[in-house]
Amino acid sequence: MLNREEWLHLAHKLDWQYSYVREEDIFPELISGRPYLPHSEWQDWEESFKTSYREYVENQFDKDMAVYAVRDAVGRLENIQKLATPWMNSLKVHAAALPLAEFTGVIGNLRGARFGRDSAWRTMAVFGAMDEFRHTQIPLLLFHQLVRWDAQFDWAHKFYHTNNWFAIAARHFIDELTVGQNAIEFHIATNCVFETGFTNLQFVGLASLAHGAKDHLFEKMVTSIQTDEARHAQIGPPVLAKVMKHDPDYAQYLMDKWFWRNWRMFSILTGVSMDYLTATEQRTYSFKEFMEEWILDQFLRTLDEFGLKRPWYWETVLEELETYHHMIYASAYTYRATLWFNFVLPGPDERKWLRQKYPKHWDEMDAVWETVSARWAAVGPGSENELSVHGKVLPTFCDLCQLPLCGGTPQKNAAIVLLFENQNYIFCSEPCRWIFLREPERYAGHRELVKRVLSGEAPSNLPDLLTKYFQLTPETWGKDAYSGAYDWLAAKEAPAAH
Amino acid sequence: MSIPLYGFLQGDVLGLLILAEEHETVHALSERLQEAASVRVGHTQDVRVIYKGNVLAPGLTLREAGLASLERFDVVRS
Repeated sequence: MLNREEWLHLAHKLDWQYSYVREEDIFPELISGRPYLPHSEWQDWEESFKTSYREYVENQFDKDMAVYAVRDAVGRLENIQKLATPWMNSLKVHAAALPLAEFTGVIGNLRGARFGRDSAWRTMAVFGAMDEFRHTQIPLLLFHQLVRWDAQFDWAHKFYHTNNWFAIAARHFIDELTVGQNAIEFHIATNCVFETGFTNLQFVGLASLAHGAKDHLFEKMVTSIQTDEARHAQIGPPVLAKVMKHDPDYAQYLMDKWFWRNWRMFSILTGVSMDYLTATEQRTYSFKEFMEEWILDQFLRTLDEFGLKRPWYWETVLEELETYHHMIYASAYTYRATLWFNFVLPGPDERKWLRQKYPKHWDEMDAVWETVSARWAAVGPGSENELSVHGKVLPTFCDLCQLPLCGGTPQKNAAIVLLFENQNYIFCSEPCRWIFLREPERYAGHRELVKRVLSGEAPSNLPDLLTKYFQLTPETWGKDAYSGAYDWLAAKEAPAAH
Repeated sequence: MSIPLYGFLQGDVLGLLILAEEHETVHALSERLQEAASVRVGHTQDVRVIYKGNVLAPGLTLREAGLASLERFDVVRS
């Protein structure tokens, strides 16, 4: 019998030169992507880590069995119910964001499987698509079983089907990243930035936090998913290398655009989870420390490797490491009913930890938490007082990323208004405005939540917005996890009445 | 006539939508933004309203001040 190394190269280099049909008709530029090159330019496409179908099936079977074994051992409802409240809500965030987004990765990989420009690429993309099936089904199974206990876990399936403001932003990001994308941009954006730059390493950080939170089911799930990501993420680099060779400006633009867009989403998903929805004693590092060690350096090394430049907005990212997810969490806390998970009010211990990790602007953030805490102290704990510690006016959103206008600092918000074709647009940051102006035909017709309200598409009053547009219910909309009943808060005196 | 405006209060963490009226004064606009943000930022008497880089006189109506739809205004401490 031949060894795998002796025959596999024959099994994944399979293209012949087409003579009865035109290459451009089989692989149209609109779907395959640009720069449009003849197959002769793509035929040396190679992935570093090769796998045969048989190996794939055997390995994936073993991995799945390991996940289900952990589920049977420590993933029962009674195990999950013992997890700390902050972590439980981090699970609800990920439960909603992950599974259906992974399914769009099936679609994106299938585009690569059909329209990738070399047979080896297309083969790896088939395995990638199958990976993403797995990444859809495992979290749906593990999280959705919790619905019978906590209705907020229904959002594991429901989230992307709603017009919740975060779902609008997530769909805007995912639709462009995976679904509405040509094969070249899909593989560069998803493999080189989203997976190599963010999710692969996020799973490392999340797995570590899950371990600290004694959530061994989630820990096993993400480490198992991560091994698949590491394999199919390797599709991107040889695609990027080819684009870099023939159109380096375009390669640079794709990396710059997608790093920014990923930064926006992951600073919310991971930043909030690490620095707010993990109990202080279980935090092994801050989000900023994690980003600096695992994401930023890795990304810069990738750029160097390909001869790409650091993104022009790099200093903004470094500044935002200190502020953005803090601004987002404070905003979201005071609009928690608009989301499907519960929030924890940072107390003295949490704020001390945050000050230590984020000294540069923490005074500004601490003042906000002081005011929120004082409001709870004034009205008293209890679910009946939730809306007294809640915003009542519509927040505002970026016309590119669809996320709240939380750029900059509390002292100086970075939001920018742009007059474009006789219409005002507002952006949370310079990079969002830059992306919009690079592809206005793609973005100009989108409507963020404020414009939907002003046009009458979305309701303007909060109850209808929550229930009819966001599809939340009194049972599922977000609340303070303890209804304001914190020991440390009980010690605060209510301010004297005026 | 209503003018939807993006309001940014110094010390706050996000922008807010203020549906203002042309006949409202600049001062009233600043009070509305402060009230809207009050769960996060305490009220300050001594503030200025900044619009397109200019400090607006508090007694002007929004129409007199030239505020236009979907523009940004800031309320900052004096």
